[in-house]
Amino acid sequence: MSQTLKIDGVTVPFVEGQTIIQAAQDADIFIPHLCYHPDYSANGSCKMCTCRVNGRQMSSCTTKAAAGQVVESNTEEINSERRVLAQLLFVEGNHHCPSCEQSGNCKLQNMAHRLGMTALTFPNFYPGRPTDASHPDVLLNRDRCIYCELCVRASRESDGKDVFCISGRAENKRLAVNSRSGELLDSGLTRDDAAASVCPVGALIRKREGFATPIGEREFDRNPGQAVNIRAGTLPKLPRQPGQKIRVATCSLAGCFGCHMSLLDIDERLVDLVQVVEFDRTPLDDIKDFTQDCDIGLIEGGVCNTENVETLRKFRERCKVLIAVGACAINGGVPSLRNGIDVRELLETSYVDGLGVDNPGIPTDPELPYILENVSPIHEVVKVDYFLPGCPPPADAFWHILSNIAQDQQPDLPYDLMHFD
Amino acid sequence: MGDLAVSTASRSAAGQKLAEYENNPVNVLQIMRQIQLQAGCVDADAIEMLSDGLGIPRAQLLALVQFYSFLHLEPRGKYDLYLSDSITDRMLGSLETAEVLTHELGLSPEGHSEDGEVSLSMTSCTGLCERGPAMIANGHAIQRVDAKRAKEITKLITSGIPVEDWPVVWKAIDDTIVKKGPLLGTTLTPGAAIERAMRLGPHLTIAELEVSGLRGCGGAGFPTHLKWETCRSIDADQRFVVCNADEGEPGTFKDRALLSQYAEVLLEGMTVCAVTIGAKTGYIYLRHEYEFLRTQLLQHIEARREAGLLGRNILGHHGTDFEVYVYMGAGSYVCGEESALLESLEGKRGIPRIRPPFPVTRGLWGKPTIVNNVETLCYAAGILEHGAAFVMHKGNEPGWKLLSVSGDCARPGIYEIPLGTPISEVLAECGASDVQAIQVGGPGGELISESESGRCLPFDDVNTGGSFIVFDSTRDMLDVASNFTHFFAHESCGFCTPCRAGTKLMVQMTDKILDGHGARLDIAQIRRLNGVMTQASHCGLGQKAAVPILTTFEKFPESFHQRMEDVDYKPAFDVDAAIERSREIVSEERSS
Repeated sequence: MSQTLKIDGVTVPFVEGQTIIQAAQDADIFIPHLCYHPDYSANGSCKMCTCRVNGRQMSSCTTKAAAGQVVESNTEEINSERRVLAQLLFVEGNHHCPSCEQSGNCKLQNMAHRLGMTALTFPNFYPGRPTDASHPDVLLNRDRCIYCELCVRASRESDGKDVFCISGRAENKRLAVNSRSGELLDSGLTRDDAAASVCPVGALIRKREGFATPIGEREFDRNPGQAVNIRAGTLPKLPRQPGQKIRVATCSLAGCFGCHMSLLDIDERLVDLVQVVEFDRTPLDDIKDFTQDCDIGLIEGGVCNTENVETLRKFRERCKVLIAVGACAINGGVPSLRNGIDVRELLETSYVDGLGVDNPGIPTDPELPYILENVSPIHEVVKVDYFLPGCPPPADAFWHILSNIAQDQQPDLPYDLMHFD
Repeated sequence: MGDLAVSTASRSAAGQKLAEYENNPVNVLQIMRQIQLQAGCVDADAIEMLSDGLGIPRAQLLALVQFYSFLHLEPRGKYDLYLSDSITDRMLGSLETAEVLTHELGLSPEGHSEDGEVSLSMTSCTGLCERGPAMIANGHAIQRVDAKRAKEITKLITSGIPVEDWPVVWKAIDDTIVKKGPLLGTTLTPGAAIERAMRLGPHLTIAELEVSGLRGCGGAGFPTHLKWETCRSIDADQRFVVCNADEGEPGTFKDRALLSQYAEVLLEGMTVCAVTIGAKTGYIYLRHEYEFLRTQLLQHIEARREAGLLGRNILGHHGTDFEVYVYMGAGSYVCGEESALLESLEGKRGIPRIRPPFPVTRGLWGKPTIVNNVETLCYAAGILEHGAAFVMHKGNEPGWKLLSVSGDCARPGIYEIPLGTPISEVLAECGASDVQAIQVGGPGGELISESESGRCLPFDDVNTGGSFIVFDSTRDMLDVASNFTHFFAHESCGFCTPCRAGTKLMVQMTDKILDGHGARLDIAQIRRLNGVMTQASHCGLGQKAAVPILTTFEKFPESFHQRMEDVDYKPAFDVDAAIERSREIVSEERSS
């Protein structure tokens, strides 16, 4: 007769030797995880599967199931810790979902989505980690590595090769390749190895497959799985007269205006929107400067030069509530791919050696803003009150949030509109 | 040295050491450490040779070099200097020492001289806390390196005098034992404890330990008899005794004194353990920084072998064999954690294992293993020779503990105190005045304000593995917390997410406050992160890493308030710093 334990109040049977997460999976109970994989030995390093077991927090992938155990997993306490863990994994690497081949198939991105993560809140590390493109069939992009060691285990336990290992320690920890050159090319890794396709994120990807399935139709695009817990931020209350329109300003810093385009995609609802919203300074109406203080400031794009800093500070000063809109404002996004590259190299690539450059030379006109050493998310420069994630956030998300505010309600974004990119 | 010379030196060292250790992969870390000391690096060429010679994949060897602080891929200078960056060294002026050395020797910000002759790095506590600022120079421990001594060192280096020929008095680490109890004050008879343990047999030996109340002195305070009993009772063909001499807790140096003056007692204790649990092999895992104790320790082992107290047929008992080997660490605080220590002993990176199973059931090479602190094993020897009465004190309560007292006091050194001694008593004995705070148990221990000095020392009120650092009222407690926070980030093994990323964020947030950019939101973030690190980290390091900053905030809020404005949010972002590079480029372009 099999024994049982309880997970979030549900009685779950297990067989001797199973870990808690294995018992949960057999019972179709989802415990968030990244480094756990049913085919390989447990690692216990990502800590995402941490549960409260008989009152004490433990990794459920390394803790054996025992009769009568009481496991708490899907609780606000545990899920907020997991949300912090997801944030930590994002800030310590260079995770740019909008430009990542793995977007939509990435377990880290999916975990962030399911855990209701809308912002990173901690400062990004922007580490400099070397990419290895030497192999004809497999790319190693260390920027995206989360040290789950699945490739290490798959190579050892399934391929019998020991191609990968973890080197260094603390923030200098790196995924190392076992070959004479230190690169993948002469490592013995082949396209069909389990290690080549086991990566839960986009650190190890097979070449020439990246976009075979278009974004929007990928595994987690189609089925993100049930939300573990959704709790977006709360907005400060706006003091307004009854019937008074909310005054909104918008701008794009280092961004592509895609978020503005998405806002316009609410289409005919714009007519309804202007009944309750008055636009002030925004490229949508071409008002270049604030005519008065505003209720809401929507900021798209990260901070890449001194002009951005000035604009952003002005917005903070003139807007009661500041909302970071889209990937670039929230974590630097695509423009921050340049972080870690010396400014001179950047300027020379653009203005001296760039394709089709006439009159090569780094511009020195005093009118021009200086570019910053790093592109920063806006919350690292000013206080941000709310984060609206996505690349871009869907039109419905803008509609939702603005109409919520107009009706004096807390924004209540549904799961499918709150996607971290 | 030129590239060719480096490569020749490392290849020749690799060849020698491989031969010396008979290509035995078990000794990989020992071999690497010796190559480092001899050739100044373990470079790609050496890794290549080791990989062929030991049959270990290259990447795993690279991983070892990049994990341990004292191993390097790139060559270190002929003068290879490490300055201890413990808070106790800082209090004695180590930053000034670093400045003098950097300036006088013309070192780059990374600590290298132009000719490559000198390398200077900061390193975690070297265990010379009462005689700092301390330095490790080519493996030699150098004490009291103040600004004056730093200038003398500069002269010796520029005149090409090898470290071996530097003044002997700089290297004479005499142990300041201030207060003796039974362990430090009793001369034990070699072999007497082993003899009695053999006579009593395992059951009664362990019962004696139980009566004595002996608990692990490394800081955990786990009852020693339970450990030994569990290990003994598990069915296995082999067992090991491991002495944890990886004394890395900043502010601790009592094991250093035991290893240098009481090595006999330690070996006696290890042998008592071996005969009780049935182990044939023992290891002393000695931290790299204590290289200066190694030769002497080996001599003690040899002498005891000759006296029939180690080796085969101990005390004439046929079949009672026990060999002890000294195994050197290579620079990693985490290796003081028993399961990480065993990983390191097995020649791997020091990553704490998933527990359970604990080492007593599955330890070294998967066999039941006792890992005990130096002090615990020494007490075990005393208890077995004289009975549990050995550790009784007034009121017939059992138990003593060694303290390493350092910081702002007149008489720093080693104190053997009865368990339950009030902190105030130690303060009075060590001549501490104008006390502001005491850090008990190292960075992960407890920060005690002067007003709490009525609290009692180990184990049950304020616990400590031995570290006791006194701060007087002139010290800035936020500086202290920042030093501890940096220590944890530097020593995190990086295995688990909360500790790897969390310790670095703690450093960023602490420094942000220290730089005057702190706000209420930062404190909230520190608390939020601490919640996750405490609950989800894989080992004690990550669980404790945010404690210094938070306790300091609770007990010494003024050290925060004087640097913070009363606002919710303040950015660390500094626009001038962020465009410094751009300005430089534009001005270069304009003038060209």
